[in-house]
Amino acid sequence: MLRDDTNKYLPLTESTCYIMLTLVEPLHGYAVMKKVEEISKGTVKVGPGTLYGAFTSLEKEGLIVKVKEEDRRKSYVLTPKGKKALMNQIKRLEIMTQNGLSVIGML
Amino acid sequence: MAENTIRKIKWFWPWQDEQEEAWLRSMSQKGWHLSSVGLLGIYRFWAGEPRDYVYRLDYQTFPKKDKQEYQQLFRDAGWEYIGEMSASQYFRKEVKEEDSLEIFTDVESKIAKYKRILAFLWFFWIVLIAVFPVRGISIDNPYPWWGAIQVFTLLIWLFFTYTIIRLTLRIRQLRRL
Repeated sequence: MLRDDTNKYLPLTESTCYIMLTLVEPLHGYAVMKKVEEISKGTVKVGPGTLYGAFTSLEKEGLIVKVKEEDRRKSYVLTPKGKKALMNQIKRLEIMTQNGLSVIGML
Repeated sequence: MAENTIRKIKWFWPWQDEQEEAWLRSMSQKGWHLSSVGLLGIYRFWAGEPRDYVYRLDYQTFPKKDKQEYQQLFRDAGWEYIGEMSASQYFRKEVKEEDSLEIFTDVESKIAKYKRILAFLWFFWIVLIAVFPVRGISIDNPYPWWGAIQVFTLLIWLFFTYTIIRLTLRIRQLRRL
């Protein structure tokens, strides 16, 4: 059983959250950048400096893992620990969204 | 060839990266394009048509193999790699409409860059304290040049201290945004 010690990583930044969302399947850096822009409907763009930093720290914390390397491009995918952290983040965001929707009429 | 290139020496502190980027851009707008960077403030430019290039600086240290992967990621995103000056990585991209001109797209990752520089500075700050030739303070100096070494070490240490303070303040300024 995986112990839930992922709360220390929360809250994830918006960029990190989106990067992790794309890594439910193995993707290399540039594919992640494209996918984030696409699924966020252009609201989030991840620059290569931000992405490289995120890859480095997520890999160091064992939230993602390198699965493949070709033509100098490394592909990463979420680890079980990474999935756990992402799930907890999504739950937090869901609570926040519900709160937001409940007051939207009063704004 | 020599007449088509110039060398400039200019000092930028680590917290002045945006000023440095702006200076390189203005050089390109005048037709001087950065061709390489050398040790501590040495820039080489080649003469060409004036173009609007933006320059961006990252700070990374890594083994050669990781460096290739790193450069490939930037290349895929449309950035041209120019070179490295004491672990500062120089990139450029021509300005076009609707193209992203930032390598850091959030404050957190920009702060993370400054923190990488800080980690390096703290390391040397501590090393300098450890090797500081304190014994030389006594009147009977073992060598005539002992005092000079002391002063030199002290100046470097002050330089690091100042840089650490300014960089920390820069991070706090970014956090407030």
